[in-house]
Amino acid sequence: MDSQSVQAAGDAVALEVRDLHKGFGGIKAVDGCNLKIPAGQISGLIGPNGSGKTTTFNLLTGVIRPDSGEVYFKGENIAGLKPYQIFRRGITRTFQITRIYREMTVFENMLSVSYLLTPMQDARERAERLMEFVTLSKLRDEYGGNLSYGQQKLLEFARALMTDPELILLDEPAAGVNRTLLADLLDRIHELQAVGKTIVVVEHDMNVIMNHCEKIFVMDYGVNIAEGLPHEIQNNEQVIEAYFGRRKDGAVRAS
Amino acid sequence: MSRRETVNHLMMMVIAFLLLLMLPEYLNVYHRSFVMFTMMYVVLASSWNIISGFTGYVSFGHVLFYGVGSYASAILVADHGWHWLATLPISMMVGLAFAIVIGFPVLRLKGPYFAIATLAASEGTRVLVTVWDDLTHGGLGISLPNVENSMETYYAMLVLMFVTIGTCYWVAHSRFGVRLNAIREDEVAAEGLGINTTLYKMTAFGLSAIFPAMAGAIQANKTLYIDPETEFFVLVTITMKLMAMFGGKGTVIGPIIGAVVLYSIQEYVWVTFPHAHLIAFGVFLILVARFMPRGLVGHAIDQGWWRKGMVH
Amino acid sequence: MEKAEIRSIYMLSGFLVGAFSLPFVVGVMTGYVIFDLRWLYDLITIILSGLMQGGVYAMFAVGLTLIFGVMRIINVAHGELVMLGAYLTWVLFNAPGFFGINVYVDPLLTMVITLPVVFVFGLTVQKLLLNAVVGGPELTPLLITFGLGISLINIVEWIFTTDYHTVAYAPHSVQLTDQIQISANKVISFAMAFVISMGVYMFLKLHRLGKAIRATAQNADVAMVCGIDIKRIYVITFALGASLAAAGGVLVSIQFAFNPETGLEYTIVAFAIIILGGRGNYIGALLGALMLGVLENLVSFMVPNGTAMVEIAAYALMIFVLLIRPRGLMGMKEG
Repeated sequence: MDSQSVQAAGDAVALEVRDLHKGFGGIKAVDGCNLKIPAGQISGLIGPNGSGKTTTFNLLTGVIRPDSGEVYFKGENIAGLKPYQIFRRGITRTFQITRIYREMTVFENMLSVSYLLTPMQDARERAERLMEFVTLSKLRDEYGGNLSYGQQKLLEFARALMTDPELILLDEPAAGVNRTLLADLLDRIHELQAVGKTIVVVEHDMNVIMNHCEKIFVMDYGVNIAEGLPHEIQNNEQVIEAYFGRRKDGAVRAS
Repeated sequence: MSRRETVNHLMMMVIAFLLLLMLPEYLNVYHRSFVMFTMMYVVLASSWNIISGFTGYVSFGHVLFYGVGSYASAILVADHGWHWLATLPISMMVGLAFAIVIGFPVLRLKGPYFAIATLAASEGTRVLVTVWDDLTHGGLGISLPNVENSMETYYAMLVLMFVTIGTCYWVAHSRFGVRLNAIREDEVAAEGLGINTTLYKMTAFGLSAIFPAMAGAIQANKTLYIDPETEFFVLVTITMKLMAMFGGKGTVIGPIIGAVVLYSIQEYVWVTFPHAHLIAFGVFLILVARFMPRGLVGHAIDQGWWRKGMVH
Repeated sequence: MEKAEIRSIYMLSGFLVGAFSLPFVVGVMTGYVIFDLRWLYDLITIILSGLMQGGVYAMFAVGLTLIFGVMRIINVAHGELVMLGAYLTWVLFNAPGFFGINVYVDPLLTMVITLPVVFVFGLTVQKLLLNAVVGGPELTPLLITFGLGISLINIVEWIFTTDYHTVAYAPHSVQLTDQIQISANKVISFAMAFVISMGVYMFLKLHRLGKAIRATAQNADVAMVCGIDIKRIYVITFALGASLAAAGGVLVSIQFAFNPETGLEYTIVAFAIIILGGRGNYIGALLGALMLGVLENLVSFMVPNGTAMVEIAAYALMIFVLLIRPRGLMGMKEG
């Protein structure tokens, strides 16, 4: 069954990960991962440390190549492509620690991302609109390095949207960000989802995941152990065990 | 960059071009030579700036392209009787070929390792040229047939300089340039945001190679004698570097200012104190690297005298 | 070990085997080399000679690797420090002559003056110029040391001109077997180099200051928290690296002719060694030095135009290692 028939059948799937494997020496970081990311929703990818979620994220964004497995996006297997190729197919990502261009202005940061075939004027307009979207318009001509950390996060977020991607992968967006800014960021994310974008969030912050994601995928030891709605995940024994471990008598520990 | 500013800049360039065009009539050979070499250093410093300033891959071996360009031209003129103008496109292609062959492995290295590898490549080529004397006459050098071409080489260098400046200007104000800056700032992010970094780096490297190659060719035909020591002289790379850094790495006008100022000082000091000039260069490099890494233009921007943006 | 890791070790080893065989192949193909017993003895002499030379190379490499390991600074002026050592030796060697006394000072003895002088010089350089830029963009110290190197070359050239100098010392040959002989100065140099490098190794391993240096190399922040004054460590490390280079210069002066520009090729040699051996790794530097010494001698002996090709050998080695296995034989994985 190929991805096209999957898409035709019922819920649209934006990204399908099939049997993904990646090992580093003796350790299998990802040991058969299968995900069907629903289109047009905000999904969360969680798991305890060492669960392989970061490696999976890096595999999806082309930073590392999988040993085997496929990743289907719009009918094409993108596993093993380079980051810029994946980007050009409509998948964008942000970084856990912001990687904005420090010695370029905010506007230049935005402008550095766009298809070479897009007329400069269109690119400029889009940049202006996106800067407004994240309320950074006032800082348009400020050097990226002079922004506060929260502003950098917003810039990185806006920059990733320049080419109007369909799938947006966010790497721990809540890391190091204060509550107010986080609320802001989450509002924007919801606005994006409202216009049909698919968003996947890798996170440790359970509040963010449980309150904002429509579907959650849980990984442990390189495989996905559960998926479902927030309340389903919260009550899932395997998930609790993965995070909190078992007591000596074999019963699952409560927090 | 508003329309108006672009037009202003264009007008300034045209005026400068016309002035320099008329100048040689009124100068004696020595002064003409001085202006010509100043222009040559503008070409060299600006080219170096493309790969090192804009893209952030600081090359320590750029004289390599200058050297192979000069040798290509000299061999064709001295041993095969070509007219020197016809050798310019060949020199350009030789420079480009070297850039591709060397760039492919070397652009994978980061920061200081790229620098050292380019230095090794440049020195290695020098030795190769010395050893392969069937082709290059080795350490003896090549003497070109004596022709009075002071005016022609001047005009050729003038045209080359404006082509180079024009290219740098285009790079600085185009999306290509913004992307080179992005690669310099954070290559991982740039790659993740759709920039084919390998292609862009190679293009920048190639661009930075063709102008020095042609400059070398013109120079060979002016001085009418070349040898491996002069053509691959490490100091030339340092000079390029110093000029671009002093003026302001990553800007268009920076290398121009740097070249004009430093070459003039060099000529004056060298005439008076031969050794001091080289020592001064070393000391100057230390001081600039330590205290003024953003160069004159960078300093001006920090002080608010100059507009921000599109600058390193 | 990771697959890619094993692969890169194989590739590097394969490359090294190829590199060492290449001189033989080229020599045979160009008819430059004729196999006979006489040649075999020559070969052994060459290899021994190479090892001796490697010992001297080790002096520069070890200093450079220390400086890099502790401060991540690439000291492009390292060769010039070697050259400085050589010139100081020459001056002191001939010093009595300047006063009309026809006696020469034992070069090894002159180290008592040369090394501390360079040590102090190193202290000053690090304190004034480099301490402020450690930890910043890696290119800045590179440029600063580059400028320093150029200045040194030209200052020495101004004073001593570009003429070559030598220090004539123990040029007689030592007969090892009937057919193999080596000049005494090479053997003495190797012995000195061995003693010095082992001494420094012991220092780093056992002495409190040496341990502090190693701690700073591993993690400067933690070292700082443990009460180590890392700025002071930086200054001492650079000074130590500089004196080691100068020591190398002393040993070079008694074997080869030198002029202000010979430093440049030693810098490249030192780089090739630390990249081969693993930047920041002491033992790696020693191993790399021996290997490069032997390789260079093989090349110069068996390949036409050998002496010029030797430089290319070092450059090529460096670039290839950077591409195949950037951390060299024993380096740590970076970043």
